[in-house]
Amino acid sequence: MRPILGFMWLAAIALLIRTTALSSLATHGILLDVLAFATVVWALRHGDAWGSTLGFLLGLAADLDAAHWLGRHALGLSLLGYAVGRLSNTLVRESARTQFVMLATATALHQSWSAAFEWSGGVAGIPFLLTRVLVATLATAPVGTLLLMGLRRLTGRPLFGHAQRTSSTHPG
Amino acid sequence: MANILPPAERRSVILVMTYAALSLFLLVVGERIPTAALRSAGATVFEPFDRVALWGDRALMAWRENQELHRRITTLELQNRQLRGAQHENQSLRAQLGLPEWRGLVVHPVEVLALSGDPTPTAATLSAGAKQGVKVGDAVMTSDGLIGRVSEVYGTLSRASLLTDPNLAVACEVESTGVNGILRYTPSPLPRLLITAVPLADTIRLGERVMTSDLSVRFPRGIPVGTVTRMTRDATGLMQEIEVWPAAQLSRMRHAFIVPGPTMPVDGMVRPRLEFEPVRSAVTGALTARDSTKRAR
Repeated sequence: MRPILGFMWLAAIALLIRTTALSSLATHGILLDVLAFATVVWALRHGDAWGSTLGFLLGLAADLDAAHWLGRHALGLSLLGYAVGRLSNTLVRESARTQFVMLATATALHQSWSAAFEWSGGVAGIPFLLTRVLVATLATAPVGTLLLMGLRRLTGRPLFGHAQRTSSTHPG
Repeated sequence: MANILPPAERRSVILVMTYAALSLFLLVVGERIPTAALRSAGATVFEPFDRVALWGDRALMAWRENQELHRRITTLELQNRQLRGAQHENQSLRAQLGLPEWRGLVVHPVEVLALSGDPTPTAATLSAGAKQGVKVGDAVMTSDGLIGRVSEVYGTLSRASLLTDPNLAVACEVESTGVNGILRYTPSPLPRLLITAVPLADTIRLGERVMTSDLSVRFPRGIPVGTVTRMTRDATGLMQEIEVWPAAQLSRMRHAFIVPGPTMPVDGMVRPRLEFEPVRSAVTGALTARDSTKRAR
């Protein structure tokens, strides 16, 4: 029951922040990929099945909100959630460096995937989209890592615990 | 292959493959699925949370905004006095020339609750809906200028497509020269607002104001859209493209105004439907000349 409540809470917060505080930041060029962040955190904590489920549902909500390309974020984030969940078995999940690398990679992949749908105008469009991906990666990874460090300090206990076989915590 | 994996991992693989298949299915047929009802439910569920999330931001900005508004009211009062004189003069001149009377804009204030779209916001959730008389097709503006048009209306909320939605088209004219064109947002290679297919012979200067045109079947005439920042030849070399910087700050929108529109042109002539929008055919269909006539009545 507890993971489901946490799941709903995280999804709601991520979607809310995305459409309020982060949308005005994004128009100034600072793109924080809260969808990738939430998916990575959930997948690291609960494994591949939960990771892909949160990724899929968050992505679907984002797709519905955007009204174009239904399934775009859902596909990217569910695969990301699954991949991060699988990797979490073999990683030191509490390490800030691990979190930084996971967040950076996930953001870069998610942004590249999203940008591919907006790519038109040939080669001339590539530098802009690459810059967007880079800015999002450079913003999300450090901010996300710092946030996780802060949360760990605040709660006084590990956020992710020791590595375990992920699929034992299967949704449903 | 599936038998090689332990049962728990097999379940995960099946789960992610189901999600991937569903997503791919949605990518293929998603445009045909009516999703407005889901967005309406989402907007209604999130409305109180949006208000709470925005409360802090707005409270923080209120003091500065109050000072700015006082200064602006003073400036506008002075301008208003001058404009009243000019209005009387304009009315008498139009009467002498036999031109139809200019109708002012009726505006209804609304709150912007949330912005959608990644990375550039392409839609906004507004705090007024069908119950407040909002209709699909109404123009949405701030005190600075046009920001978009209402694309979906729910009970007490509505959703507006912003100028940054690539499917939104606005018939515009350059204020001083009257050069006409259709303004659209192009996300690539660089995100910008462009008026395309303007003849090379048309004279346009940098810094000139761009307004909604009388040729628009979707927007009332005379709403500021932006200023000309750049002119370039298009790919064919036969026409020019005009880059426009939006008059309204799309990054900072707390309040907006809904302008009922469009109305039948004052001269009674039906305008050509220049503002082709590939996706929002429902909106296009809703704004026929017959509807315009009803509204004008």
